[in-house]
Amino acid sequence: MARSVWKGPFVDAYVLKKAEKAREAGRNDVIKIWSRRSTILPQFVGLTFGVYNGKKHIPVNVSEDMIGQKFGEYAPTRTYYGHAADKKAKRK
Amino acid sequence: MAPPARPLLRAAPMPRERVCVGAIAGAYGVRGEVRLKSFCAESGAIADYGPLETEDGGRRFEVTLTRPASGGLAARLSGVSSKEEADALRGTRLYADRDRLPVLPDDEFYHADLIGLEMRDADGNSLGRVRAVLDHGAGDLLEVEAPGRQGSVLVPFTREIVPTVDLRAGLIIADPPEGLFD
Repeated sequence: MARSVWKGPFVDAYVLKKAEKAREAGRNDVIKIWSRRSTILPQFVGLTFGVYNGKKHIPVNVSEDMIGQKFGEYAPTRTYYGHAADKKAKRK
Repeated sequence: MAPPARPLLRAAPMPRERVCVGAIAGAYGVRGEVRLKSFCAESGAIADYGPLETEDGGRRFEVTLTRPASGGLAARLSGVSSKEEADALRGTRLYADRDRLPVLPDDEFYHADLIGLEMRDADGNSLGRVRAVLDHGAGDLLEVEAPGRQGSVLVPFTREIVPTVDLRAGLIIADPPEGLFD
């Protein structure tokens, strides 16, 4: 069942505080968070979070199309490497 | 005592000019076709990189894809005409010449080219070697294995953090944000 709209998106308070602090400082350091359940808000766009996956913090550079998703979606808890073959990486 | 170095992803050392693009999973049917497992981003692209050769370079095959099969692709390989021959090739890895891969635009790189490169900071200090390239949906990440460090570090593959990729010199110059290598 979907979350009631009147409640607004859920975000752990400490994530908001850390993000605000980083934005005020103007530095693009990795903001380490453990809250995988927090929703990505518009004010997080442009910041880099280190989302804990149970083992280490995965850097997640927040972009506009990630708003509304949860942080945990971008930090999988299992890693499958596979083969490099002809796979490409794009530098953004 | 330093922890033992973890093995790289490649199973066996191989020349830089070849990339593993697939493997033969066995025979398909009784007419000499094989079941191919493609490791390519688009599975059908494996046929474009032919002729493919075995790991030791002893055999070369022209690949003609015939149909999709469960768990891969059915294909006909040059020089393989019977089920017995196809079955004998089960487990064989297929390699393509690196030159057969299309040239990419600026700021795009093949994972195979990035893996193994040394990463240094702006002062020339070594940060480690690229072990893998990952993408979890928020942009590509370079997994860097630092010497004398337990576990690896993930570095976002952005122009800001990775301003220079020099494939010829085998070097990546990075400007990691604070806290990334802590």
